[in-house]
Amino acid sequence: MKRLLGVALGILTAIGGFVDIGDLVTNAVVGSRFGLSLVWVVVVGVVGIVLFANMSGRVAAVSGRATFEVIRERLGPRAGLANLSASFLINLMTVTAEIGGVALALQLASSVYYLLWIPVAAVAVWLVIWRVRFSIMENVTGLLGLTLVIFAVAVFLLKPDWGSLAGQVLAPSVPQQETVWSYSYYAIALFGAAMTPYEVFFFSSGAVEEKWGVKDLAQSRINVLIGFPLGGLLSISIAVCAALVLLPAGISVTSLSQVILPVAEGAGKLGLAFVLVGIVAATFGAALETTLSSGYTLAQFFGWSWGKFRRPAEAARFHLSMIVCLLVGIGVLATGVDPVLVTEYSVVFSAIALPLTYLPILIVANDPQYMREHVNGRAVNALGMVYLVIILVASIAAIPLMIVTGAGS
Amino acid sequence: MTSAPAPLPKVPHVAGRILDAQLHLMDRQVLDHDGVPVTTVDDLEVSGPALDEDIEPGSPAPVLNALLTGSVLGTRIFGGRPPSSRLIRIPWKDVAEVGVVVKLGVKGEPLDASWVERWVRDKIIARIPGGRHDPR
Amino acid sequence: MLNTPAPAASFPARAAKLLSLAVLSLAVLTGCSGGASQSVSTAVKDSSSAVATARIVLRQDMDGKLTKAAASTSLEDELKEVQTSRSTVLKLSPASQEDRDLQKQALDVLDQCAAGFATARAALAANDGGTPSLSHGDKALADAQDALKQLGDKVGSK
Repeated sequence: MKRLLGVALGILTAIGGFVDIGDLVTNAVVGSRFGLSLVWVVVVGVVGIVLFANMSGRVAAVSGRATFEVIRERLGPRAGLANLSASFLINLMTVTAEIGGVALALQLASSVYYLLWIPVAAVAVWLVIWRVRFSIMENVTGLLGLTLVIFAVAVFLLKPDWGSLAGQVLAPSVPQQETVWSYSYYAIALFGAAMTPYEVFFFSSGAVEEKWGVKDLAQSRINVLIGFPLGGLLSISIAVCAALVLLPAGISVTSLSQVILPVAEGAGKLGLAFVLVGIVAATFGAALETTLSSGYTLAQFFGWSWGKFRRPAEAARFHLSMIVCLLVGIGVLATGVDPVLVTEYSVVFSAIALPLTYLPILIVANDPQYMREHVNGRAVNALGMVYLVIILVASIAAIPLMIVTGAGS
Repeated sequence: MTSAPAPLPKVPHVAGRILDAQLHLMDRQVLDHDGVPVTTVDDLEVSGPALDEDIEPGSPAPVLNALLTGSVLGTRIFGGRPPSSRLIRIPWKDVAEVGVVVKLGVKGEPLDASWVERWVRDKIIARIPGGRHDPR
Repeated sequence: MLNTPAPAASFPARAAKLLSLAVLSLAVLTGCSGGASQSVSTAVKDSSSAVATARIVLRQDMDGKLTKAAASTSLEDELKEVQTSRSTVLKLSPASQEDRDLQKQALDVLDQCAAGFATARAALAANDGGTPSLSHGDKALADAQDALKQLGDKVGSK
């Protein structure tokens, strides 16, 4: 019975923790402008993240080493440094976006201006990283994030025409008022939002934090195989909500307040309460994960002692670097830049940086010195190669498309 | 160029393991006696003639002096070398075991290589309330 | 074993230069597009989206589906959108008389939108019973939406 509860907790946490501000904003924008014609990208992205989270968790559980530790050993300091620089900067952008997302959601709930919430959110993130145990942090934010299921509930309450929805999903086409270029650009953005690079670092370092061994592999596999696709369904329901309410009204999403309107439409004030709790929890959880990822990548590259399982005094540089990241995030947001804009850029840059993150995982997961008998099977490798090609294509096409479409406008 | 060099003497038979510096030592994590990470091996200090000097025939083989860390990472990637007085060394005699990670036989705390960690800990982290609190 | 410097690669350097030239020219080409009617068209699109959002917000507030906090935040966000569009149109330097007329007309319509927003926000604050009423606010926004549509049709027919 206890085992079953543990498994259920793992799955529920994975579902609730899947959505972050990038998913919220990108899916809503896509739903309001393209309807359901890009849902297939979310499916592709979810399969990809399942594949790579699985691999990175296996690497950490079997070898006891987290991703970035192995990147430097296997690829050398130059490639490792290039990887670190790109990943760290994009992580920083994502931290900024997530904290901005928390502040925007709190503004929607309280009407207090979001700039005032930003230091509050950042300090809260720091406090949790400083004091709260890893497993508690994961479980609480994950479970609270489950309230985002209200998006799926709202879809049902809005009584859509399921036939036409299915038609849009299965036979995607570029809508009349958009161009092929913006369609492709948002496909890449959606892909980057689903396959967030920080997830890989966090997942593998988290496995070391919780001291996973080979016997925990089964649990991790279940979490990922069941939890992430259900989380992907949540993402899709955000897009469906936007497509049902905002698209017919000719509204294109540019702010977080528009994302929640379909939920209010379908489920009223109660739905609104759920979605605001869900957004705060999901973005807060993601802020924790991305901040920790920043610390993990730096500490693992330079060989510092790291980990939330250590006292802060025993992992001093690790904690200092995260404090600096949060301060930079506050600084950027304090300039008044629109957090939704930061989010939209962060998902595209995540897509650009994806090859740097996933290629090392693929290499290490095949290395018998680290993996012993748990190296990738043929099927996993084949799928991994296919995804490597997809990731490279997305990464190379992103910047030209960004220029041609003016970042999607 | 000088005339073709004399054939190299045979490699002497050694007891113990043969390590490849690039494969087994460079960029490896260094753990101390208790398993706490200290740093990564950024470079190696090898005794013997300087880089631009000719090696006299019959001179003794170079010996591994110390593991290096710190700013040598920059010079290793981009070229050049810092002066010898600037190098942060972990003496080779402190190394207990070389495997997937390099394990030292001493505690990491008093080492030169840990000075930044000590400084950050004492001057910054310990001053924030709760810094010494055990999260378990 | 040691880091040997890569041979002075002329091909990658040339390729990089060509690539940056291509990217730059692409940027210039996509930047020089449309002129006044393009900017006005974008402004109309963005503002229509904002006004439509505001109308939904008011309706949901009337139906009791939205909290005051969320509604007022949403209206503020959409007003910011309209104001951004207005300042973009204001910054245009139209070349022809036709473009100048278009700019003036666009500014008038966007001012009407902003006024509609003011009415809507006042209605929201007045709490449905006071003046202006929520239906007043909705009417003001609806009129602004019509004006936007007319402007959009005019620009689109060019």
